[in-house]
Amino acid sequence: MSENNSYIQVIDLDFEYPDGTQALKDINLEVKKGELIALIGQNGSGKTTLSKCLNGLYKPTRGDIIVDGLNSKKTSIVQMVKRVGYVFQNPDHQLFNNNCWDEIAYGPRNIQLSEEEVKQRVEEAIDVVGLPKVYHSEHPFFLSKGLRQRVAIASILALRPQVIIVDEPTTGQDTKQSLEIMDFLQELNEDHDHTIIIITHDMPIVGKYARRVIAMANARVMADGTTREVFTQADILRETFLAPPQITQLAQADPALGFDPGTLTVEEMVEQYIKLAG
Amino acid sequence: MHVSKIIEVQDYTWKYINTSVPALAEINLTIEEGSFVGVIGPNGAGKTTLAFSIDGLVPGQYNGVKKGSVKVFGKEVEDYDKGELQQLVGVVFSDPEAQFTAMTVEDELVFGMENIGLSLAEIKERLEWVTELTELSNLLMKPPYEISGGQKQRVALAAVLAMRPKILILDEPTSMLDPVSRGRIFKVLAKLKEEENNTIIVIEHSLENLVPLADQMILMSESKLVLHDKTQPFFQQSKMLLEKGAFPPGAMLFFHLLHERGLYQGEYPLTVAGGAELLRDLMGK
Amino acid sequence: MNKTLLGYVPNESPIYAVHPFVKLYFLLVVSLFPMFVSAPDWNIILMVVIILLMWISKVNMSTLKIYIPVAISMGTIIFLSYTVLGGTHPEFELLARIWGINFYWERIRDALVVYFRVLPMIFTMVFFLSTSRERDIIVAMRSIKVPFVVTYIFAMALRSAGMVLEDFGIVRQAEKARGFDPAGKSIAYKIRQYVMYMVPLFALSLRRSEEFTNALVARGYAFTGKVSRVKRADYILTHYSYKYFDYIFIALITIAFIALLVYRYGYGYFQVDQSWLLRLLRSWVS
Repeated sequence: MSENNSYIQVIDLDFEYPDGTQALKDINLEVKKGELIALIGQNGSGKTTLSKCLNGLYKPTRGDIIVDGLNSKKTSIVQMVKRVGYVFQNPDHQLFNNNCWDEIAYGPRNIQLSEEEVKQRVEEAIDVVGLPKVYHSEHPFFLSKGLRQRVAIASILALRPQVIIVDEPTTGQDTKQSLEIMDFLQELNEDHDHTIIIITHDMPIVGKYARRVIAMANARVMADGTTREVFTQADILRETFLAPPQITQLAQADPALGFDPGTLTVEEMVEQYIKLAG
Repeated sequence: MHVSKIIEVQDYTWKYINTSVPALAEINLTIEEGSFVGVIGPNGAGKTTLAFSIDGLVPGQYNGVKKGSVKVFGKEVEDYDKGELQQLVGVVFSDPEAQFTAMTVEDELVFGMENIGLSLAEIKERLEWVTELTELSNLLMKPPYEISGGQKQRVALAAVLAMRPKILILDEPTSMLDPVSRGRIFKVLAKLKEEENNTIIVIEHSLENLVPLADQMILMSESKLVLHDKTQPFFQQSKMLLEKGAFPPGAMLFFHLLHERGLYQGEYPLTVAGGAELLRDLMGK
Repeated sequence: MNKTLLGYVPNESPIYAVHPFVKLYFLLVVSLFPMFVSAPDWNIILMVVIILLMWISKVNMSTLKIYIPVAISMGTIIFLSYTVLGGTHPEFELLARIWGINFYWERIRDALVVYFRVLPMIFTMVFFLSTSRERDIIVAMRSIKVPFVVTYIFAMALRSAGMVLEDFGIVRQAEKARGFDPAGKSIAYKIRQYVMYMVPLFALSLRRSEEFTNALVARGYAFTGKVSRVKRADYILTHYSYKYFDYIFIALITIAFIALLVYRYGYGYFQVDQSWLLRLLRSWVS
């Protein structure tokens, strides 16, 4: 099962910007269908550049990216974005149209689907993100940040990519809004079989939702494993200047207490306490 | 020791002209000089409007209807001359890009000081002080497009600090930053708290850095000030905080959940180290 | 090498010791020279001098290629307007007639004269942009007592332009990420997509302008009222002072300009019919 489930292969990837900045160095990784991955690291560590390589916006300087059997170097941008969608961090950068319906239809029209199919895809995307009818003819500019983000995600969904990369979905959102967005992305992952990659600085969110973590620093992948594995590798995390969520730190604070150092959520911690304290 | 009340808000209601519900309703709040206050609450609760009201941006820059009074140093905010209140109250906003208005870091830092009419000698002295405090010395000649968002945000903080405001308000200063940049902003705030006598008000969603520094906390919800207390008793009310959509940090939430299940009575810890200490006591290790 | 809004500047250069006003003065005065010089010979000499100055200033010559499109498109426009759009002139000498278009010697000569006037102007501009940061321009303006409000608005305009450029790059990518592929599409289609960029750029600047204005107010800045009349010190200018060589450069530029005018109008130098190069070309084409 593991072999034919593989969807993206990144092989010896280097990426250099035209001005000579080395943004990615020796990246090797594989993304399987159905994963929910958190891509973490400081600003400038290469997370966004890697994402843009995965959906074909950037072509590798060296090495290859194979998506669904297609090499990104030899594949048109249209073919790439049908497979890997990338939602930019700031919704304002990606809303071009005068109402939400046209906004979501924009992608399908670009790839020259029939109006009938466009309509079907827009309705499906609207249905998945749960955009209330009153907003369909509204200008995206006047929507709240949370809603604008949903429109941005819907407009990517309408291209029906297998993989959806969302850049900092919870920035500027309060905790409740962050949980709502993440619940929605989890639903896309579990109920609609999309592979989800989130780029984030919010470690409690990573602990609660991600099943796999890729940690980057200085253009390289420093750690790649299950969330538990990565958060228990204190020395590697230090190199990426990251710290695990506070609850994980509490579980790791005193090994003599007997908590699992890979504890990811407050609820898990409570369960363990009940067992440990008898 | 006499402690002066530098901010006094009484029965204050503010409604923006283009909205139907007031952004702030019947606020009563007193803040003493030298306090470090954290403000939390969901988006749209009125936190930013409260900050703007103390700095005079509301009603100065926005249209709306004001009831009640907002006094800073015993004087109503509207009664200050244009620009006068901003020398007493400094505000740092959340978007590092939009706050950078000049073409080098140094220009940005001296801009505010020149505006308030400081002498060259005074500007030089403060510039040295603030660049050391915020660790910006080697970036002074850099243009905005060569520095990161985290560095820009430190510049924004430094530019405001250089004006030496008595009251410093930070409106989600780290919401757009990565964890290291976030840590560096809070490091500056910790130094300020220790070395200067500023009154500091911080609006934040990410509480892990804020809680250990704050003396007192305010919860805003649906235009109202719901709770204002010293940090420890404030978080003892975690049940109410959660109901209002404000989430305590993980370690604290853990002890709250234990409390809910009747497994723990007592004060919630404010830091991870404090939490570990409590666990050792509880588990007899 | 460092990137600026409009080009690249070297990390270190002897020209950084020169006061920014001198650089601005060079740009403003020397770019006037070609307007008084018709003979391409002299304009080519000026270009060589500027290239020499760039070399002395350690300008990285490979970065200059970003200006080549400007030079080429200027040349094309000038050439076309003097040939294809030049009309019929029976009094001129006809060199060739291709697809019904007349190529006259006089028109080609005039095109060359104009192009070799434009080129040195581009060169002085490039020299300035390759040795000055945005701040230098502002300092130069302030050092000749341009009011602070004007220089600050200028600085903010540069800053906003920088932000818009950055946004523009991201918006273009965002459009591609939605399956927009301009390859092989009609011009009309491309123009329509181009107009669509404006929507997000406009939205972004609207949203930012509120915080931008608030930040200005929070820095104690006001365009009107009592505070705006505060006597302000200029700290940045204290970093810059005129050295003896600055005065020498200003004097040299001024003397060169006066000499140019005297030779042009007093002795009739720099005329087209004195051009050795054009004479050579004339004998070569006929």
